[in-house]
Amino acid sequence: MSNLSLKNGRNAGIVFGIIILIMFSTGFTLIGNQLVAKLIGNEGFKGLDQFKVFVIFMVLMGLWNGSTAARKPAIAKDEMMPAIANGLVAGLVFGVFSLVISVFFGTMLIIKVDIRNYLVNISPESTKLFLFDQTPVLGGAYHFGIALITSFAGAFLAHFTRTNQSLRNFIANSKRSVSDFSGSPKVVSTVNNQYFKIASYLVLAALLIIIPRQWGSYWNYVFGTVGIYVLLGLGLNIITGWAGQLVIGYVAFFAVGAYSFSLLTSPAPHNLMWNFWIALAVGVVAAAVSGLLIGLPILNLRGDYLAIVTLGLAEIIRILLKSDMLTDFTGGPRGLQKVGGPTLLGNSITSDIDFMYLIIIAVLVVTFFAYRLQNSRTGKAWYAINLDETVARATGINAYSSKLLALTLSAAVAGLAGALFASRNQFTGPDDHALMVSINVICLVIVGGIGNIPGIFLGAFALKGLPEILREIENYRLLVFGVLLIVMMRIRPEGFLPSQRPKLEHPIDLAKSGKEE
Amino acid sequence: MKKSLFFVLMIVALLLAACGAPAATEAPAAEAPAAEAPAAEAPAAEVPAGEPEACAAELGCAVIPAGSTIKLGYAGPMTGDYSQFGIDMSNAMKLAVADFGDVEGFKVELVAEDDLASAEGAAAVANKLVTDPTFVAMAGHAFSGATSAAMPIYEKAGVPMLSPSATNPDLTKAGSTVFNRSAFTDAQQADGAAAYLFNTLGVKKLAVMHDGTDYGQGLAKGVEAKYKELGGEVVGELVAVTPGESDYSAPLASVAAAAPEAIYFGGYNAEAAVLVNQMKVAGLEGVKFFSGDGIYGKDFIEKAGANAEGVYSATLVPSASDAITAFNTVYKTSYGEDAGVLSAYTWNSYDSASALIAAIKSVAVVSGDSLYIPRGALVAAVRGLKDFQGIAGVITCQADGECNASGPVFYVVKDGVWVPAE
Amino acid sequence: MKNTSDQNISKIKLSKFLRPLITFLISSFLLYRIYEVVFIRQQFTPDIWVRFAISGLILGGMYALIAIGYTLVYGIMFMINFAHGEVMMLGAFGGYFIFELFNFIPTPTVADPDLTFLNSQPILSIILAFVAGVTIAGLSGYFLEKIAYRPLRKAPRLILLITAIGASTALQNLAMLLFGPTRKNVINPMILERSAGWSVLVSGKPVLITYTGVFSLVLSALLMVALYLVVQKTKLGRSMRAVAQDKNTAALMGVDVDDVISKTFIISGMLAGAAGVMWDIHMGLVNHYTGFLPGIKAFTAAVMGGIGNIPGAMLGGILLGMLEAVGPAALGIDFQLKDVIAFTILILVLIVRPSGILGEKLSEEKL
Repeated sequence: MSNLSLKNGRNAGIVFGIIILIMFSTGFTLIGNQLVAKLIGNEGFKGLDQFKVFVIFMVLMGLWNGSTAARKPAIAKDEMMPAIANGLVAGLVFGVFSLVISVFFGTMLIIKVDIRNYLVNISPESTKLFLFDQTPVLGGAYHFGIALITSFAGAFLAHFTRTNQSLRNFIANSKRSVSDFSGSPKVVSTVNNQYFKIASYLVLAALLIIIPRQWGSYWNYVFGTVGIYVLLGLGLNIITGWAGQLVIGYVAFFAVGAYSFSLLTSPAPHNLMWNFWIALAVGVVAAAVSGLLIGLPILNLRGDYLAIVTLGLAEIIRILLKSDMLTDFTGGPRGLQKVGGPTLLGNSITSDIDFMYLIIIAVLVVTFFAYRLQNSRTGKAWYAINLDETVARATGINAYSSKLLALTLSAAVAGLAGALFASRNQFTGPDDHALMVSINVICLVIVGGIGNIPGIFLGAFALKGLPEILREIENYRLLVFGVLLIVMMRIRPEGFLPSQRPKLEHPIDLAKSGKEE
Repeated sequence: MKKSLFFVLMIVALLLAACGAPAATEAPAAEAPAAEAPAAEAPAAEVPAGEPEACAAELGCAVIPAGSTIKLGYAGPMTGDYSQFGIDMSNAMKLAVADFGDVEGFKVELVAEDDLASAEGAAAVANKLVTDPTFVAMAGHAFSGATSAAMPIYEKAGVPMLSPSATNPDLTKAGSTVFNRSAFTDAQQADGAAAYLFNTLGVKKLAVMHDGTDYGQGLAKGVEAKYKELGGEVVGELVAVTPGESDYSAPLASVAAAAPEAIYFGGYNAEAAVLVNQMKVAGLEGVKFFSGDGIYGKDFIEKAGANAEGVYSATLVPSASDAITAFNTVYKTSYGEDAGVLSAYTWNSYDSASALIAAIKSVAVVSGDSLYIPRGALVAAVRGLKDFQGIAGVITCQADGECNASGPVFYVVKDGVWVPAE
Repeated sequence: MKNTSDQNISKIKLSKFLRPLITFLISSFLLYRIYEVVFIRQQFTPDIWVRFAISGLILGGMYALIAIGYTLVYGIMFMINFAHGEVMMLGAFGGYFIFELFNFIPTPTVADPDLTFLNSQPILSIILAFVAGVTIAGLSGYFLEKIAYRPLRKAPRLILLITAIGASTALQNLAMLLFGPTRKNVINPMILERSAGWSVLVSGKPVLITYTGVFSLVLSALLMVALYLVVQKTKLGRSMRAVAQDKNTAALMGVDVDDVISKTFIISGMLAGAAGVMWDIHMGLVNHYTGFLPGIKAFTAAVMGGIGNIPGAMLGGILLGMLEAVGPAALGIDFQLKDVIAFTILILVLIVRPSGILGEKLSEEKL
């Protein structure tokens, strides 16, 4: 008994207790519950009121808590006793947390202290929900009971799945059969089959042509935004993903593209009204030149200089754009209205559908060039610099000009994205170019899988598409992404869709070179 | 090689599709505009027989099936530093919907969306709302920047707007058919404020500051121009501060160097409170502080405390009447807060929503089980509002969409509350 | 891609010639501009300049405190702790809640029935607010390192930086969801009322030097001296310097590297927390965004002074504060553009002298 460690259980209980405390005090229990209720539908589950949904939620949390406590590798596999004991301890700690939350906030509700002055998201409704519409003590007791029982059950289940040989075999088999299927010669040969490839491309092409016509203006808007962020991601990926130079103020180039395009096509303040395509080209070139100019003095240095300098540059550009000094030239805080739309052979093609096609074409073109670059000599040089600049130089790569090229290309793509963004919104203003845009782009490149092109599509959709669809959780989006970034860097730093580049045989060298620089 | 082939094919195909697109939408419209055009824009295409004649018009009809509600939109900042505006305005509109929200037995529902007071947020909200076939009118947006971003989207969908608070003068100059507002413009406000400062308060030396936003800069420039025109002296240059900061002592010190008698500030309550709090330290004790409708409300007094005493605001609080008193009672019982404490737009918002409902009533037709609201006629009806008696005043829309006749009124903080200034 | 060594040599020679030239041109232009504004235009009288300088000094003191945190962590781990500003924000919230709590506890006397603990025990309240803010910030620094950064000890730096960005976003949004996005007023004890202070005559005109300003400035100076002593004189400081120079060798000499890194994060967090409570007391407004801008500014200051160098961070902080307050007036441009001046100077410093003003002469390979 003396060597029975209950640390796992305690830790799991504390972690889950803190999670439930944060969920409650950020109001997520209420919103999440509404979302669940919406998902399962109010009609079909008439008898299931929100309190019962919340019970289910708490039961799931408890099960998870218990199984986490019992699953830690520190616990020997075959012993039932420590696993169950840890589960119970986890349940106890978790239960105490819920009990304290219930009693404290329930009392606050009853004595009518408006806690919302300090914790804005704890509304009476969410407190009531947390108490299952009971008195504080009774609600707390329910919580405690649920936590204890479900954590016990969770620990038991976890132990059972770990020790039960037939179940483990079953899981292993099913895993194997899935990987067997995708890796089996038959599937591989089908995937590699030329005709199959062409057919799938054709299907994809057909989908891309048909879908924008089918969905309404809202979906075209959402996916247009996703497309623009894909462009930004592809661009940032060149300098950060491949050449390994972090750029924090990537939005600077986005702004240069958007503004140089808009100034040339907007009726005010200059009334130049240039042709869309020429202005687009100017926007791209202007962004590329700004990238080149900022890279010239900085890129012969190593380290985080580029990150810092672009961060400063992004802020300088944003402040200058909205300043009084340049209001007559840039439109000031109002931004530029009525930015020109695309034309083709003299016809204006500005409908949602047309613009969606335009964005798709831009994404395809950039993706194509990105693939070509990745496999080119330059791409390999970037990769070498990314891995170890000293070795890369020793092998005869001109690191300075390679990095300069990467930054210029990267800025050019951002300029293209900026021009398209301004043209689609028919508007651009200084607030469109806040630092948050850069951080979003960095996040999407990382989440998808740094250096990997399909990953960028996934990341852009996850970062810009999903929150638009789930507007209820809009407020929680950035919190979730922040946590996700930390967790991912820990358990899967290569992203959801990792890059297919050859891996180093001795990863430790990579770490060392990174540390010493 | 395969990949490049794929990309080339794809782009050619898309280009063809893109070229084809306008032709596809335009062609039927040219051939049979009366019958086919609604299919492109409005969801009226699926309407069964029994559709009223009015729906043959260009934008078609919004069809409300039995059991559905008529959606009246509102969009403003519900979160963030300006959330008090959005919350207050939508609260007032909910009361209007409760009072008048019954059109031929169909209920009106207020859909209040958060546009974060940003252009991007507004475009997203507008694009989302217009996909709802039962969404017919917009009592917003709250902020001018957001409004100008959303306007083209409503224009396309034929959704009339009647904003109670978007005050940028340029909004009605763009030639939009759908945009109307029941607030005064910033130009009117600036003129009124400059005249009040010069004539009523007798200020001869004025310093002008703003917060670098579209709204603040516009007001500041307007006041500067009008004040000079009246013969006053504007000392120093326009001083802009960076919004969101907590230390404006340096800019204030540069204002103090010019020794003004009063400061006009174009901006919102958060920055105004910081300025007012630091005026004494900067050597501006006893200098009057004057600002626009953006600082009126409870938040400013809470943030500035005792320093708020004697601060002026040009705003659009209506003069007292029985209707206002009755409304204030209902507002207080519904939300536990006095009307007009959160923002000055409470009464105006109520009027905007009720005027829109009145316009809907004037054009809606019942046919069979459903209610038909011809969109084109509704746009015209809102623009044609005449002598609509609201609680804050009479709404009569001009040809350009300006629906407010009265100018700003002036309030001052006295003993911790906003009271009308003499 | 051949023959790069020759090109490199020519480039270095060119830059050796170009850099002093650029430095000379820019500084002479700036000096001329300042001369023109200050002596020819004479827009501002001396008392106004003193006001500018005071507000710059106070701001600079806070920047310096935060900047030291960046520099300490950078010196030891070569990472930019992007979440440092958020640590400061948490400290500011700690102080805010203590003030709110004490203002809630009534201690009525006969003379003043409304008296609260905050004003009956003002010094104790302030001390406790600092204790709370410093503790919260120190703990968040500790846990940040333990949860987010320690598992990545061997990872490339990019990964660390992204983790830090993630931590920054998460903490900022967590604070927004918990405490709401609106800015909250901080109630000061009466003795530190914000607009009260000593009046000093400068060229015949009164200039108000606020108590809160003097308080923050003195406290930040004291803390900086204390930190300098810790780093230079104590055993912990010696191990910190050892780890900064070479982790492996330090470990061989018996220094517990993990422990030193952990303590470094605690110290940098505590300094940020103190800056946060000063922010409460002097600025009087706090919300989730409070730490972000000062964080970025302080980071700029640290880079400007020479990242990894503690006196450099102090100098950079003060310099940046002064640049923001005095710079726009001295150069005769809008106050709106103060950040443009600050960031432009940063970029120029990095181009002309990449190691920062006081930074050691780094080889091109380092940093």
